[in-house]
Amino acid sequence: MASSENGRAALPADAIDGVLPRRVMEPDGPTEVAEVLTRATAEGWSTIVRGRGTKLGWGRAATTVDQVVSLARLVSPLVHRDGDLTATAGAGVRLADLNARLGEKGQWLPVESAFGDTSIGGLIATNESGPLRHRYGTPRDLLIGVTLALADGRVVKAGGTVVKNVAGYDLGRFISGSLGTLALVLDATFKLAPIPKSTTTVSWTFDSAGQLGAAVASLAASQLEPAAIDVRVEAGTSAPLHRTLLAGFGSSPGATTAQVQACCGLVPGGHVASGDEEFRIWREQVELPWRGGATVRFGWLPSALTDVVGLVESLARADVLCAFVGRAGVGAGLLRLDGTAAAQARAVERLRQSAVVRHVVVLEGSRELKASVDVWGAPVPWHQPLAALKRSLDPAGILGAGRGPL
Amino acid sequence: MTEGFLDELVAICGPDAVLREPVQLLTYECDALPHLRETPAAVVLPTSATAVQGVVRACARARVPFVARGHGTGLSGGALPVPGGVVISLARMNRVLHVDLPNRQVTVEPGVTNLEITRQVAPHGYYYAPDPSSQQVCSIGGNVAENSGGAHCLKYGFTVHHVLEVEAVLPNGDLVRIGSPCADAPGPDLLALIVGSEGTMAVVTKVVVRILRKPEAVQTLLAAYDSLSEAGTAVSEIIGAGIVPAAVEMMDALALRAAEAAVHPNFPPADTVLIVELDGPRAEVEELFATVQEICRRTGATVVEVAATDEHRMRIWRGRKAAFAAMGRISPNYYVQDGVVPRTKLPEVLGRIRALAERTGLGIGNVFHAGDGNLHPLICYDESVPGQAQLAEEVAGEILTYCVEAGGSITGEHGVGADKRDYMPRMFSDTDLAAMQLLRDAVDPHRLCNPGKVLPTPRLCGEVPGPYRRHPVEHAGLGERF
Repeated sequence: MASSENGRAALPADAIDGVLPRRVMEPDGPTEVAEVLTRATAEGWSTIVRGRGTKLGWGRAATTVDQVVSLARLVSPLVHRDGDLTATAGAGVRLADLNARLGEKGQWLPVESAFGDTSIGGLIATNESGPLRHRYGTPRDLLIGVTLALADGRVVKAGGTVVKNVAGYDLGRFISGSLGTLALVLDATFKLAPIPKSTTTVSWTFDSAGQLGAAVASLAASQLEPAAIDVRVEAGTSAPLHRTLLAGFGSSPGATTAQVQACCGLVPGGHVASGDEEFRIWREQVELPWRGGATVRFGWLPSALTDVVGLVESLARADVLCAFVGRAGVGAGLLRLDGTAAAQARAVERLRQSAVVRHVVVLEGSRELKASVDVWGAPVPWHQPLAALKRSLDPAGILGAGRGPL
Repeated sequence: MTEGFLDELVAICGPDAVLREPVQLLTYECDALPHLRETPAAVVLPTSATAVQGVVRACARARVPFVARGHGTGLSGGALPVPGGVVISLARMNRVLHVDLPNRQVTVEPGVTNLEITRQVAPHGYYYAPDPSSQQVCSIGGNVAENSGGAHCLKYGFTVHHVLEVEAVLPNGDLVRIGSPCADAPGPDLLALIVGSEGTMAVVTKVVVRILRKPEAVQTLLAAYDSLSEAGTAVSEIIGAGIVPAAVEMMDALALRAAEAAVHPNFPPADTVLIVELDGPRAEVEELFATVQEICRRTGATVVEVAATDEHRMRIWRGRKAAFAAMGRISPNYYVQDGVVPRTKLPEVLGRIRALAERTGLGIGNVFHAGDGNLHPLICYDESVPGQAQLAEEVAGEILTYCVEAGGSITGEHGVGADKRDYMPRMFSDTDLAAMQLLRDAVDPHRLCNPGKVLPTPRLCGEVPGPYRRHPVEHAGLGERF
């Protein structure tokens, strides 16, 4: 591979699933990214894009990687248009840095990442979200414009900087969640939200999955408007079972208090937390699925929550320790499986055989686990048109190095 | 189109579902942008996804272009037929298939109207959020094609945020499900590419939408101002106070005069009227609504009228939603424009539009979604005056230039369609547009699915300019414009 002033030999820390890329490219601007990609397409070099590297484990195990293209140096632009409630950030800007900047004017990009270093590019590539998804949606719901570098080096824009805009195809939303297999994000523009002036969280613990499901159903049927409704189940073959429900409220101080009172009236026995305690509760909720083991993502119909919790508990009674966190209002969750790769694989297969959950994807896992199950599961029903779109955007098939989902 | 092909359509859809007589085709020549007209070779009215698939397969085999059509309320010529092509009307696929309250989802066929979804679930305390002004008559299939918004999308988003899954026939005739009623289907969001593609990538045959719990409280006020800039300041202060209203609408003097003449909403006399609606938990709405009232008074509102009853609120909204149609009461002809500017640029752009009105002598009424900067200038003209129709079109184009120069968009909700495809290069580079064409060709390599829409084609000599003309249905007194 030709040398370049923006390229270097890979270091051990650059390895992906234990595979060392031949080279790491660190372009410092959109033009340089385009040049790297033009060359890669011409030469047919398999290419993996990296933001800040927090979620590089997602996807199938890599076999050979010709190059990693790091976008960490794309830290501009960083523009906050507070009067318009929008912001534009380069792919390499950290979400935390963007939100620190937006917070100066009482606004934020209301998405959480489990990883402190998550970049804007990585956020879009993975569409990672947290409990606030209940109110604000996932990153793709807040994305209003992008600049992309296509595999052949063309730099294209789609969307814009206004919150309402239906001119042309929504490429930004389309490529969200594609893990860098369709195009590289150079910068992104989001609609923002005001930070609530006051927040409070109510938490409950339950003796049975049925009680937990009933409490969620009554919250969902009410006219309360929590920012998040999350569940947590920690279970294992020997450990005691914990089932927790969290409802987070955010509004003006008076309105938050009124909602919390109404919520406690609706589902009695809750513990009310605010300040540091509340911060710790949610941090724990966001980080818990990622502390070791394998992490599996899946969705379900919200009314099936009781069965989902039952399913998780039955896995735990088998041979793995489970830590499950779920967005109860949406029907989306993450399950951490601690145990041998074989036990993890059995759990993944059981989830896939169940009629209760769908879209079972292994996000993080050992090479051994990835060797025994396909991390993506069966192709989606709309795989064929997606494959055609992939061929158009990446005719040489360089992006993603076969790790999926495309 | 051969007789054999037409026979095939009859075999697929049935003899009463294939129209080919000129008088029958008349209704389908245009959508709600009636200056763009084409006569299709045939119109089919299938009643099942299988029949739609059969028609698309037949078209694909014979290389006949096809255009899907909902209820024809689009304002950008998105359902404009292709000469010699087939129009696939989905009007007869109008069943509500499944209401799932525990999961807050409703499954419908594409010909179901937007409002019908809310009607189905309202008795249980739920509603479907996107509310385009045409919601009584527009179809959900058309909403999916156009990614329709409405007055309340500032807080609740657009169609794309409320559609979970569609069943669709792709241009090659494959019938596929795209998206999922369960969250987190892996990979890129193909559904988001279909929604808002203006019927250029698929014909949707089934839609699963998300419904929302009705908010506990709604409060609406109307504030009258002596100047647009004062009203604009009020909007900035509301947003600056961290309030996201359900809707923020503005109407200027000319639009107010028209609305008064048409539906008598009894608005107070004003240069500009601001309508603000908050919804949510009662305690929150009450607290924030007091702040909004205080801001309105502080910024110079001469009257602040709070809707005390549902009926009062409906009257305010009737005045707002009827504004387009009402222009017909004060001007022989008018042209509805749709553009977007960053909200903070509203005063500047509206100033330019007022100067343009003075310079050209054409009245321009302004009705707009102030919260998200979506302008709807209504350009008044008289087509019996030589040159005025042409002038009106030039004025409409000039306004789009102002929007793009301010960092905005050539369309916020009406779509590009056939009407604005040649404005796309003002917003996007050749490379941007080539990438969009690349995606489209991947899904529709033979360019049969609603060709001539969204992406620009070289403008033809002698192309007819586009002032508003009455739809044949309006002419016959059978319907009114929304």
